[in-house]
Amino acid sequence: MDILIVEDARDQRMMLAVVLKKQGHRIFAASDGHEALGILANHSTIRIVISDWMMPNMDGIELCEAIRKSDIGRYVYFMLLTGKSDRQAMVDGMNLGADDFINKPVDFAELNARLNAGIRIIELKAALENKIQTIEKDLESAAKTQARLLAKPARIQQVDFNWYFKPSRILGGDMFGYHALDEQTLSFYQLDVAGHGVSSALFSFTLNNLLREDGSVPLLKESVSEPPFYRIKKPDEVLISLNNQFQTQPEAMLYFTIAYGIINSRTGSVTLSQAGHPAPLWLKNRSCTIEKIAGRGVPLGMMPAMTYDNITINLQPGDRIFLYSDGVTECENGDGELYGETRLESLLAETFDHSIAEMIAKVERNLVSWAGSDVFMDDVTYLVLEWQP
Amino acid sequence: MSFEAKNEAGYTVVSMDETRLDASISEPFRIYLFDQIDSGSNQVVIDLGSVRFMDSSGLGVLVATLKKMAGQGVLKLAAPQPAVLDLFNLTSMNKLFTITPTVTEAIEG
Repeated sequence: MDILIVEDARDQRMMLAVVLKKQGHRIFAASDGHEALGILANHSTIRIVISDWMMPNMDGIELCEAIRKSDIGRYVYFMLLTGKSDRQAMVDGMNLGADDFINKPVDFAELNARLNAGIRIIELKAALENKIQTIEKDLESAAKTQARLLAKPARIQQVDFNWYFKPSRILGGDMFGYHALDEQTLSFYQLDVAGHGVSSALFSFTLNNLLREDGSVPLLKESVSEPPFYRIKKPDEVLISLNNQFQTQPEAMLYFTIAYGIINSRTGSVTLSQAGHPAPLWLKNRSCTIEKIAGRGVPLGMMPAMTYDNITINLQPGDRIFLYSDGVTECENGDGELYGETRLESLLAETFDHSIAEMIAKVERNLVSWAGSDVFMDDVTYLVLEWQP
Repeated sequence: MSFEAKNEAGYTVVSMDETRLDASISEPFRIYLFDQIDSGSNQVVIDLGSVRFMDSSGLGVLVATLKKMAGQGVLKLAAPQPAVLDLFNLTSMNKLFTITPTVTEAIEG
């Protein structure tokens, strides 16, 4: 172990150094606090400081405070040498960040025992830091995987799709997607798994895989005996089967809200079904008005045997649908006020002459300025589609 | 966080001294409610009068409690404030729970 001895009395310093070197430690020495700080800054391997209390320039307590306040990037175990047997001095020292005390004159057996206790703590801390680093690396790599799973902005059969996605902590429980079910029907969805973090993200991965199917899994389509030999399921049917598939135990209440829709890219007809998700907004290009696609429904995974409604609307060329997670409207400002639906709708009303990308950027800027930060409390996701035949 | 359970006319009325039912208290609240049920309460009213904001984890606790009761007994939600009522409407909680404007109506209803 690399140990720094801080002691103004040269003979004391030498003696400590000799004894500790014999124990196999590597010793650095300083004659006051200032010198000690310099050595600590240049030698990142030093994890233990044994310091005298009374010293000229900067004493032991001041040194301890300086180390605790500094941005040294590692924990330094601080042992204070003191001739004072007064209890209050020891309490003050501990309160200011010292880890242990050794009375002078030093009993070397005691010093050794206390040093070993310190080494145990440092090793535990190092093991812990190591594990945390491993976990953080795993989380980062999972977040990259999640980012790769996200559908790329795309134009599919005269429908443009684009989005904004920002998980609250590295991993999010929000997910979305869109793809063709046949040459004139596209499906799109946005979902929000309750909670954040690993379990929510894993669940959202699973759901995404199910909803991204290419036709082999009978969730979105089923085979029939007549041409074209498949039937595209109505959105409510999709939600009902997802709901029955994902019933959870009361102790692990993992559920999700979703808006799932299909669009006919030739006619602009859209059918949507929702389970507890914020109502998507229909941005009507010609009249420059916004209409909520109102729909309700118990979130999926809460209760078996629930039913859902299909709502059908007919888009006009240039019309958009804006789907979003509650992280948008529940985004809080410094006073704890929610962003809310009214603010969102007023903002979107200013975007009819914007490209989709400009609109997405504008909403982001507005949310960041509302929250006063670009790190949000909840996952923030919105998905925009435009029918442009 | 502090939760309280009172007996009123055969109902266990659970209330809390919290304005936010969110991820920070939903787990202790769940444990508290499950304890009530495990100790024999089967007619429960949750008084939400103090709650100004509820998030998905708060909603999860209410439904988890309902599932925990597994059809044995009654669970009612009382006195939701406007934002909480909006959340209940969006998520169709009226399909799962009896929701009343006041605790008194929950007990007498």
